[in-house]
Amino acid sequence: MHHAEHVMGTVVSIDLADDLPAATLQSMIGDVCAWLHEVDRRFSTYRDDSEVSRFRRREIDLADCSPDMRHVLEACADLWRETDGYFDAYAAGPLDPSGYVKGWSVEIASARLAQAGSAHHCVNGGGDIRARGLTAEGKPWRVGIRHPWEADKLSWVLAVTDCAVATSGSYERGEHVFNPRSGGPARGLRSVTVVGPDLALADAYATAALAMGEPGIGWLAKLVPDGYESAVVTDDGRAFSSPGLPAAV
Amino acid sequence: MRRSTAAAVGTLTGAALIVGVRLSVSAPAVPTAAPPAVDLAGSGQDADPTKKPSKKPAGSDSGSDSGSGDSGSENSGSSGEAGGTGLADGVYKGSAVKNPYGTIQVSIKVQGGKITAADATYPTTADSATINPPAIAALKQETLQAQSADVNAVSGATFTSESYVKSLQAAIDEANA
Repeated sequence: MHHAEHVMGTVVSIDLADDLPAATLQSMIGDVCAWLHEVDRRFSTYRDDSEVSRFRRREIDLADCSPDMRHVLEACADLWRETDGYFDAYAAGPLDPSGYVKGWSVEIASARLAQAGSAHHCVNGGGDIRARGLTAEGKPWRVGIRHPWEADKLSWVLAVTDCAVATSGSYERGEHVFNPRSGGPARGLRSVTVVGPDLALADAYATAALAMGEPGIGWLAKLVPDGYESAVVTDDGRAFSSPGLPAAV
Repeated sequence: MRRSTAAAVGTLTGAALIVGVRLSVSAPAVPTAAPPAVDLAGSGQDADPTKKPSKKPAGSDSGSDSGSGDSGSENSGSSGEAGGTGLADGVYKGSAVKNPYGTIQVSIKVQGGKITAADATYPTTADSATINPPAIAALKQETLQAQSADVNAVSGATFTSESYVKSLQAAIDEANA
């Protein structure tokens, strides 16, 4: 069963491949959509009444924040350390954890689906993908990485089962990723894709690498022992990939 | 001769620093096994010149496991304490220091009050590969492809609700609807 939901300023595509009754699949989709809207209400920086906006205006203390908010803030702090400051929820000035929240919300959505009994699904939250199991045809999920210049072409095709694929790029929303060292927009890389077990981390790593520019290519290589592979395209059209990238044959 | 000795000691010190053995200042924690002949750390290489160095290799101030003699140190019995290290001639072995990669023991040979040779024993088991980890597998450059292929989903930079409409993902969603 397939469903596309407009939420969080983007579109989340849900593809359930389980051999389960339609009513069950429908209710699973309903639960995922409810979760995504809850995340939107809590974390959208475009909503004045969201928890993140109220926290930014200091109307609430950290101690008053929800468990999900505290988790996100803690994760952003950990990632700030882990990426040497290149993943920075405060990069644009006021707190904006969106770079973590999108991947995290899809990772949680997939976990909720699994808990509800879906062993085979693929959820794509605006380009951040979490796959589990196999397609209805019993094959690994084929995930294409969008070409960074030609919107209707793919630069890589991956074959994944239980895996996350996150891409950070400068070709959609322009210069939205900052390099904290230069103080300006990130330069050097046009597209970074990270593939690994956790979508929240993959998303943050991709964003951090994009912020680093070309040195990000070397930094991404260090993630390989932890199970995170990557594919990168530079601003001048050079392509790089890690040896273990799960390319489809 | 002096230069090569200095080089040898320098190399040894460098190697010792890499594995975390301290040759001077305070005594390192001595493990309960392997009693050392002389605790080099306590024997005053950097010591107060007014302090009289001990003549015997064993029985220094480290205080542990006194006197067991399996260190193999020799005493050539010649000139002794004058100048340099202030140690009597002989071969001195440092404390055997355990670290995650094995046990390292450093030894020096003193002649005429000066260090004339230095050596270290270090682990040679497979674990020592962790001291020199395999090189990080770098990302390899390749040709940027532009293909059209049948896929279940497309990963790209976050599209907005508006740009979604024209995206590959939208085409897939429509085909599956």
